Amino acid sequence: MQDNADAAVMNFPRRDARDKLLGRTKYTIDVGGSEVIHAVLLRAEVASAQVLRLDVEAARSMPGVRAIATWEDAPGAHGIGIADHPIFARDVIRYHGEPIAAIAADTLEQAHAAARAITLELAPLPAILTMAQALEKDAPLVHPDWKDYDILFEGAARGGNVAWEATVARGDTDAAFDRPDVTIIDGVYRVGRQSHVPFEPRAVVAAFEDGRHHIQTSTQVPWTVRHVTARVLNIPESQVRVTVPAVGGGFGLKFDCSLEPYAAILAKKSGRVVSLVNSRREEQMTCLCRENAEIRIRSAVTADGEIVGREATVLMDCGAYGGEQVFLTTMTAHTLGGNYRLGSVRLSSRAIYTNTPPNGAFRACNGVYNTFALERHTDEICDAIGMDRMEFRRRNVVGDQDIGATGQVFEGDVLRPMIDRMQALCAKHPNSRKNGQRLDDGRIYGRAMTVGTWFIFVGPSAATVNLNVDGSATLVTSGVEIGSGSMMHALPQIVAAGLGIAPEQVIVKTADTDAAGRDLGVGGGRTTVSIGAASAAACDEVRDKLLAVASEMLQTAPDQLVLADGRVEIRGRPGSGTTIQKVVAEAETRTGPISGSGAFTAPGIEAMPGCAAGHFIDAIDIPVFAVHDCELAIDPDTGQVEILAYRVVQDVGRALNHRAIHGQIQGGVVQGMGYALHEEITINEQGCFDQTGFEAYRLPLAQDVVPIEFDLFEGAPSCGPLGTKGAGEVPILNVGATIGCAIANATGKQVSQLPLTPPRVLALLDGRDEPLALDHISAVWSDNTLRR
Amino acid sequence: MTITLTVNREERIFSGDPRTPLVDVLRDHLRMTGTKAVCREGFCGACMVHVDGAPMASCLLPVGSLDGAAVNTIEGVATREHLNAVQQAFEDHDVVQCGMCFPGMVMTMSRFFQTNTSPDRDEIKAAMTGNICRCTGYERIIDALMSIRTNEATP
Ligand code: FES
Ligand code: FES
Repeated sequence: MQDNADAAVMNFPRRDARDKLLGRTKYTIDVGGSEVIHAVLLRAEVASAQVLRLDVEAARSMPGVRAIATWEDAPGAHGIGIADHPIFARDVIRYHGEPIAAIAADTLEQAHAAARAITLELAPLPAILTMAQALEKDAPLVHPDWKDYDILFEGAARGGNVAWEATVARGDTDAAFDRPDVTIIDGVYRVGRQSHVPFEPRAVVAAFEDGRHHIQTSTQVPWTVRHVTARVLNIPESQVRVTVPAVGGGFGLKFDCSLEPYAAILAKKSGRVVSLVNSRREEQMTCLCRENAEIRIRSAVTADGEIVGREATVLMDCGAYGGEQVFLTTMTAHTLGGNYRLGSVRLSSRAIYTNTPPNGAFRACNGVYNTFALERHTDEICDAIGMDRMEFRRRNVVGDQDIGATGQVFEGDVLRPMIDRMQALCAKHPNSRKNGQRLDDGRIYGRAMTVGTWFIFVGPSAATVNLNVDGSATLVTSGVEIGSGSMMHALPQIVAAGLGIAPEQVIVKTADTDAAGRDLGVGGGRTTVSIGAASAAACDEVRDKLLAVASEMLQTAPDQLVLADGRVEIRGRPGSGTTIQKVVAEAETRTGPISGSGAFTAPGIEAMPGCAAGHFIDAIDIPVFAVHDCELAIDPDTGQVEILAYRVVQDVGRALNHRAIHGQIQGGVVQGMGYALHEEITINEQGCFDQTGFEAYRLPLAQDVVPIEFDLFEGAPSCGPLGTKGAGEVPILNVGATIGCAIANATGKQVSQLPLTPPRVLALLDGRDEPLALDHISAVWSDNTLRR
Repeated sequence: MTITLTVNREERIFSGDPRTPLVDVLRDHLRMTGTKAVCREGFCGACMVHVDGAPMASCLLPVGSLDGAAVNTIEGVATREHLNAVQQAFEDHDVVQCGMCFPGMVMTMSRFFQTNTSPDRDEIKAAMTGNICRCTGYERIIDALMSIRTNEATP
């Protein structure tokens, strides 16, 4: 396997670049032409209301209209953990932007005109716009019928506006906090929503062909789209086919089914090919954001820095429907409990319903803000007990055989040597600047180093490899290329190494649920690991079949044969063998064409029984660690923060394509800089987002960024193929934390919130910043649970 | 009203609403989808084309104002066999990710390098301010562009 691993490492360039540079790539938004008709959604313009009357009759006879759909066409509800989400509002509107009807017409203008002709009568209902309101005693319920919903995953506590609650309890925290020798540190933190802003919005083109739905869509999860569409239409899943053209960015936004069922219904009703594309305004205003969150962490720490007890509560705003946040409650156990050794721990992670647009998954999800909260808290601990920040981390980060929050046992020392590597990286650029020092231009210098823990989302993947008579191989999986390049770099490299051919000779088919087996989708850093492992397993089968035939042809035992450079050779005798083409041709006369299939699923690491309740996974199969360092300067007159230098040491298992990982680190860190400094969706009294486009939602520009310096840490244990871990998701993990801690160090002030916009930084500097109070999260941990 | 314009050296006639933004004429009427409409507010640069040689955001240009103009789009700057220098540098440095911003980026920077033969890093960044990329974090794009400069500087 070692030869294999080395053969897989290269800076293989991506094959889709040229067409993308020529404007020839067809994304879903580019599918069109005279045979395609256009759909729009009629969306609610209030946050909470009773629907008294919905009448689409007048709209039906508008010019060009081909089909109209409402709740009657989509009886089912979907969701993660709980089926709480119908795709059309029926009796109740629960958020601003919720779809009420879908209209397809010959032109977009006609569809909009018909939408305007729909009669909708509403009676206002009280709207819950914040989690504090949602948790008030006797608060109106966003879902009064929550008890009647189908439960899709058992074991969580639910109730009222608490959509889902996951708890962890290991050891006796009461005893720990009562110890006479501990200092108790109590901190609260808050973050806003972050919008993904993929350059291609969510978009779908649907047709109804031979009695089945064919959905072409801009998604990360073809099999989820197949499943959810079938569920809400109440049809067998086998009646839905999903194919995926090039995807113009995802970042987690496209990890959920969204527009697809509407287009599917309209295509069937109209008998036409229907295109449904979110306008930029719709895309922004219904973005399934990284959720706003509110966090309280309390720790009991001894004078020599041992964390004997920790209690934390994380409130995650799921918006009007549970969605990804239900699943993500699980991750708090690992992002607050998987970095540092904890003597005892209790965690409550809750998804809270509000009358706001639903949230979703975004690159490293709640890991990003939990890491911010935890690293700020860790620095507060250091200040309280008077210990050096790096010394504290060095002593406490998890290492080989340490246990995480849920009792899982970690393998290998990873974080501690990564801290050493970061110090070595920093030592290349020595400087004598001190936190809080004024630079020559009057700006204030700040610096911080943080650690973070995230995971690779594994789960089922399938792959088929067909070895072709010309010596090329076709890889068939449900992977999609969302821009990160896993389908262009890692997968052909893994297959090429497995078969001893050039990566150019590996054809990579993009997702078609009629052609490839089930897969959880592209996200969570899982493509290289899960699809890669399934592909490697498929190659093993191909290899066995190939070598069996070659063995007879060359009169040599299979274990004495090697595959390299498109040939089968007798070990140690280059040139002695024959070409793969000849073996394939021979195989066709004996048994037929050569193909192999492979599968992968989570190995299932164990947790300590009884620690975790309401979790989708109790332990993480592949932890991933990161250490970041940031130097910055604050302009005391404007509150502007400039990043002077940014460094990353990332645990990658094995780096298959250094250049591609560099691209992910640069891109991921810059998204994190936006999150830390200026990206935030705010919600007004109408329950609607203030940032409806690019003018109000500011993204990082070329002049805002610096080249990220990085060092890839290889060799940490991983069940990924060739020892890989996914490298695309994690670069964003501790950017908010590192910048937040650096600004706290620069100003000497308490930093409890992100983003750190210029007004917020100025308020900190001037001492005008009100200390954050989260009165709805009790200091008594059990008050923050339903199981109390 | 009928508008006649030259698109990639071919004469084209448009007879719809003169307020239609050029980007929609290109994408919907001519089915040239290389030009991307991402923000439609003039902020992202994904819709950049050259109008009489100057880079412009096609989402902000009503086609009615372009009678007689010469428009060049991403489809017209190169062939698959011969990329222009900017495209070639982007391919050689393997900097493309989702690709949605690149047509606009190529249009802006191709024009920039016609008039700036050896810009420094800051000048390149300043020239790219009107082109937003959500995926790459820019610096590797700048590295690629710096290589063009060096190539030209060393004859
Ligand atoms: S679409 Fe024209 S500038 Fe963004
Ligand atoms: S490569 Fe995706 S927006 Fe630039």
